[in-house]
Amino acid sequence: MGTIIVLGIIIATYLMVVAKRVTALVRSFAIQSFFLFLYTLVIARREGNVELYIVSGLLFFFKVILIPHFINRIARKIKVNENLGLFLNVQLSLFFALVCTYASWAFSRMVVPAQDPTMAIALTAAFTVILVGMFLMIFRMKALSQTVGLLVMENGVFLVASSIAGGMPFFVELAIFLDILLSVIILNIFVYRINKMFTHVDAAKLNKLKG
Amino acid sequence: MIFLAVLIIPVVLSLIILMVKRARALAIIHSLGYAAILLVSLVLLYRTTVLAEPVVISDLFLLDGLSLFFVLVISLVGFASSMYSIGYISQDVQDGRFSSSKARMYYLLFNFFLLSMYLVVSLNNLGFVWVCIEMTTLVSALLVGFYRTKQSVEAAWKYIIICSVGIILALLGIILFSYAMSLAGGPKSLNWTDLFAMAGKLDKNILKIAFIFILVGYGTKAGLAPMHTWLPDAHSQAVAPISALLSGVLLKTAVYAIIRFGLVVNKGLGSSEYFSHLMVGFGLVSLAVAAGLILVQKDLKRLLAYSSIEHIGVISVGLGIGGPIASLGVLLHVLNHALTKSLMFFGAGNIVKRYDRHNMRMIHGVIQSMPFTGILFLLGTFAITGFPPFSIFMSELLIIIAGFLKGSYVVIGFLLFFLVVVFSAIINHFSPMLFGRAPKDLPKYSEPLSEKLAFLFLLALVVGLSIALPWLVRDGIIAAGEILKGI
Repeated sequence: MGTIIVLGIIIATYLMVVAKRVTALVRSFAIQSFFLFLYTLVIARREGNVELYIVSGLLFFFKVILIPHFINRIARKIKVNENLGLFLNVQLSLFFALVCTYASWAFSRMVVPAQDPTMAIALTAAFTVILVGMFLMIFRMKALSQTVGLLVMENGVFLVASSIAGGMPFFVELAIFLDILLSVIILNIFVYRINKMFTHVDAAKLNKLKG
Repeated sequence: MIFLAVLIIPVVLSLIILMVKRARALAIIHSLGYAAILLVSLVLLYRTTVLAEPVVISDLFLLDGLSLFFVLVISLVGFASSMYSIGYISQDVQDGRFSSSKARMYYLLFNFFLLSMYLVVSLNNLGFVWVCIEMTTLVSALLVGFYRTKQSVEAAWKYIIICSVGIILALLGIILFSYAMSLAGGPKSLNWTDLFAMAGKLDKNILKIAFIFILVGYGTKAGLAPMHTWLPDAHSQAVAPISALLSGVLLKTAVYAIIRFGLVVNKGLGSSEYFSHLMVGFGLVSLAVAAGLILVQKDLKRLLAYSSIEHIGVISVGLGIGGPIASLGVLLHVLNHALTKSLMFFGAGNIVKRYDRHNMRMIHGVIQSMPFTGILFLLGTFAITGFPPFSIFMSELLIIIAGFLKGSYVVIGFLLFFLVVVFSAIINHFSPMLFGRAPKDLPKYSEPLSEKLAFLFLLALVVGLSIALPWLVRDGIIAAGEILKGI
């Protein structure tokens, strides 16, 4: 069961890499978060842990509903040009994502004991998500896509935590959720300001300060 | 628990901001609050290190010598910065750079910023420490983008994005540490004390990988090269008193976090070799990058930012060398750099405000046009480049002595070379700016009393620490060796 959900996460991640528009990117992020929610729910049921149920509920509320809605709203508000402005075309990006997956697999084999393949698969997915998040931040030069990239990386770290370390202590998890929400709000404030001052949200053109 | 006063005062101050309407009264109350915190942190450090009272350890707080030392550093710079803010912010309001309601916003963010830094160095749970470090980024990003110019918004965006990515990698490191704990059969806890107690049983390979993530992640926040790229932008665009806080203490809180994990790794691996190589490596790269970019720098505040990278490099090399003498050097350097760099940023703030430009080649005759700031800035220049009788000289000397005693001649050779490059570059940049003839059309200017007091407070500490050190060095080495035991 867990492995199928993990596959869903990986597919959602690939969808992000091929997305050409902001709305598509945000939708894939919501899908990825939804699978992450399912994954946490499965673990919660397996361990019969009330705290994990709460965490998965929060995950659903924040990452599947609230944050995607938030980003979509700001994208509409600033009337951003829908195109993400790919630095790397779709084929190469997808190829890169596959390489990321392979590298993650190699790394997971190093860390996880050999008799535990499900854990290795989950960890592979997690590192793929982190690397793709980084990729989105570097190769998609809209300020909004950098925000999404950051959230994707965070999703990956969350998956690492729940797959190998059995999740983080409950209150730490809550604090991290709060933190993410705050950073999305503050990032959106800045996206708004950038748009107002520069009349674009192209992070690649933020290049006044150097040296 | 008199430590709680340190956390409660900023909260109370924030509430006062919401109630008091008069700007001047507000600024003075704010500054008095930080004077009180400074007093409390001095008492705390004295009681723990000199009187050797038992260390406070609970699930929430961990207040050993290391934590309290960093609390003191934050308090010193926080107090100086709050005093400097009185004059600086009211001038900004008068000049119409922002409205008086935004000035209240400034004080509110100032308090949150300080509060989050105090939490970083005093919490026991490493997960909460992580959250608080991210909080410092979010709050200070608002202060970096405070002027709402194009440059400052760009700087704030880069700052928040780069540091958040770094910090997510650090979170990954923390998770790997907790994975190692669960493999070793330890409790499911992220408390540093539990981690440290279990260190000997943790898987060595996972420990090594986890520490790399921690070092890259928190190193981004500490300004270690090559992850430093956000730093010059953010430091040069922030409001001047905040630049001092960013450079003086924010970087050090990240260093604090690295030290905490370093202690665990050293204990777990049974030797400090791994930690030492990494720290020396990153330290020397930071020194090299900083030296190169200071050489070609034109912007006054960016130059000071690169100088912070240089000093973080020195601290990192000192941590790599290790041992009681280097420990004293490192701790003193953390303190001295915080004090001296605040002095420099205050001076730079005044200069930039008066000349209305950042480019050093367009600024002449600072000493003539504003004698007080000019002379203090000149003294600060000698202090920051490591001239005696200023305290940075002493801490660098201690690190260099420790390096020679350990036999790391090559490392110390490089360190000295980069220090010489930085020294000559800074003197070369600053002398035409400070001396020479001031342009005639500058309006008359004299620094407000509060700013003068802030300058003199810092200068007295910078000189006093260096003069007092020879008498205290013996006890200092013992105390520092105790605080950084295992580095």
